[in-house]
Amino acid sequence: MEEKRKWKVSDIWKLLKNGIAAIVTGNLLLRLNAGKYFVHIAYTFLLFWILIFESLVADNVLSKVENNNGKIKEMEIIYADKTFEVASMSRRSAVQKRLEAMGSSVQEPTAQAIVIE
Amino acid sequence: MMEQDGNNMRQLPQQTTKKKRDRIGMVLYVFYALLLIITVAVLFKLVYFQLIWEPEPKIASALTPQIQKRIVEPVRGNIIDCEGRLLAMSYPVYDIHMDCTVMKAEYAKMKNKEKGKMKEAEWQDKAQQLAAGLAEIVDGVDAARMYKQIKDGRANGRKYLSIAKGVDRSTMLKIKALPLYREGANRGGMIVETRNIRKYPYGRLARRTIGFVRDNQGLPEEEIKGNPGLEGRYDAILHGKDGREYLKQTDRGRVRNYDSSYVRAVDGKDLRTTLNIDYQDVADRALRERIDSLEDLNGACLVLMEVSTGAIRAMVNLSRDPHRGNSFEEITNFAIGRRCEPGSVFKTVTLLSVMSDGIYKSLDETLPTNHGIVKDTKMKQDIHILDWERENKTHEISILNGFKISSNYVFGTLAVQNYAKNPRQYVEKVYSYGLGDSFDFDLEGLLTPLIPDPKSKYWSNTTLGTMGFGYATEETPLHILTFYNAIANKGKMVKPYLVECIEKAGTVTDRRGPSVLNASICSRAIADTMTRALLSVTEDGTARRLKSAKCKVAGKTGTSFATFANGKYSDENGRRQYQGTFVGYFPAEDPQYSIICAVYSRPTRTSYQGGGIPAAAVKTLVDYVYTNDPRFRTKLPKK
Repeated sequence: MEEKRKWKVSDIWKLLKNGIAAIVTGNLLLRLNAGKYFVHIAYTFLLFWILIFESLVADNVLSKVENNNGKIKEMEIIYADKTFEVASMSRRSAVQKRLEAMGSSVQEPTAQAIVIE
Repeated sequence: MMEQDGNNMRQLPQQTTKKKRDRIGMVLYVFYALLLIITVAVLFKLVYFQLIWEPEPKIASALTPQIQKRIVEPVRGNIIDCEGRLLAMSYPVYDIHMDCTVMKAEYAKMKNKEKGKMKEAEWQDKAQQLAAGLAEIVDGVDAARMYKQIKDGRANGRKYLSIAKGVDRSTMLKIKALPLYREGANRGGMIVETRNIRKYPYGRLARRTIGFVRDNQGLPEEEIKGNPGLEGRYDAILHGKDGREYLKQTDRGRVRNYDSSYVRAVDGKDLRTTLNIDYQDVADRALRERIDSLEDLNGACLVLMEVSTGAIRAMVNLSRDPHRGNSFEEITNFAIGRRCEPGSVFKTVTLLSVMSDGIYKSLDETLPTNHGIVKDTKMKQDIHILDWERENKTHEISILNGFKISSNYVFGTLAVQNYAKNPRQYVEKVYSYGLGDSFDFDLEGLLTPLIPDPKSKYWSNTTLGTMGFGYATEETPLHILTFYNAIANKGKMVKPYLVECIEKAGTVTDRRGPSVLNASICSRAIADTMTRALLSVTEDGTARRLKSAKCKVAGKTGTSFATFANGKYSDENGRRQYQGTFVGYFPAEDPQYSIICAVYSRPTRTSYQGGGIPAAAVKTLVDYVYTNDPRFRTKLPKK
């Protein structure tokens, strides 16, 4: 025995009409009897909001990271500059020349150092 | 009945709500309706943008977030000396460019045309001041030419005009303070780019040993082979690994796109070398002072090595640089890459050989002088023996005296007399002293010595005899030094090395250090006998110049001639190409350092002997090291 169809094509239109009417009147969730899931739906929205907010915060933090990287790089450049300057000045012959230029009588030692044990 | 009552109860509140719609409910409903309208509008717009709207390509590119790949350059490791002083480091420099078109359009679009023209003239005036300032700060910049470039660039819409390249930070800051540039990138058009280059705080000291790297980048394989310095040999370790990241454009500027992959750059490791830059400086000066003014010389090298470990403390290689006014520069590594007949410094090999084989027990044993003619060979007569016969009125000469006066006859005779029947025995001795093979050295380009094979067709009646006093073989200075170092080390031959360890942020990740090539090339007693012979050379022989050194130096001089294209040791004008060498160790009683110095001449008639410039340069360095090295300090016991 063939089973009778329980719904009609016109029911689709009816459903849409009811759905739109429910949306317009703000009763969709109640009509769907989803009131008991309201907390979950609100929580989902909260999660979406947090996701968007976190994304904006991450962009903000990364831009700070870039700025700070620039500052660190600047510091590193100053450090490298000074290190090079100091290292260049520590050359034995450069020190001697500077001492001579300053009129100093300091010379290289002519005898070994004596260490008291 | 019950069901009907229930339906009535449900309908009752609905009807009541409908009827009693309060004010708040109405407001909320209007608010909801508004949101609903906006949502629907947004949804429609989204669908429209996604499916229907086709923007102009220019707008599309401006709206599409650009993802840009960036290679993160690792920091190249430093090369440091044995005391931690920087020999090579990464150093940032700035390239300065100019966007000549800044504010041009804005001034042109001004409603008040007169004001626009005035502003443009003001900009041009500042550009002129900028050019004048640049001429004062940057070498080689001409103010008028620079201003013309900026002016033409502005007229032609040039957005990237090169202003200065490779300037340091202080210069960049001075440039930044100039008129126009001080107004910032948007109004002044200043574009600053940073790049790292390799800098050497000690200038050209030990540059051949340290090596060279262009713009801090890793070297391609073929360039490493042509670059024998440490920079080339240890390029992979020094360079590290490139990183990779993707950037996206946001309202707050360009930031890393955390949705894309990110590869962190691995910084290069540091290389701690055995070099002592103070000793290097003194050695470099000692050699330069003596050779700078001598036009006949075209190269020299000096190597200082620690006896017990083989650690090279100084390695100077100087050759004439035609690009720098023919001055001496570190261009060619003679110490490892110049192989030639060593001359009399090889006599020590013959002496050690006959002593080790037990043929002679004492240095005081004698040989007949035979008027300087080596028996059973066609070798040339040694005329110095005739002087000896005349001066000492004798026809005998001890091995020690032969060594002291560096007699070719004595050592030719020692080789021929004792090894003529079995020349392979002598050649094997040479190999056992490490003078026939190359070894794994910290620099590319260590040449393998050339030792003749007794079975080859080139082996002649004179080969063994001439080998005895340092010809017919070819050695690098480093091989000769390694051999002498073994005598100083009581027979233990250690491998010379330049890299002490590899470090990461001050922590040792890979320790290199000393290694042994031959645990014993001779007994301690024979090593002591050799020291006695070598000491006689500096006290009363060909290296008397070193007698006045602050400590006793044991060593040997050697003078040899390079072969000309005609196969002879002199050209058609009788000129010779000298190689004068001194090799030895100090203090003779308790050797701590071994040292070799060699000078190379152009074809000349002036003689450059090992006892001359090389011995003098060695003396300067020996005096300095003996005075300054902590291990030679005099210890005064407490009362």
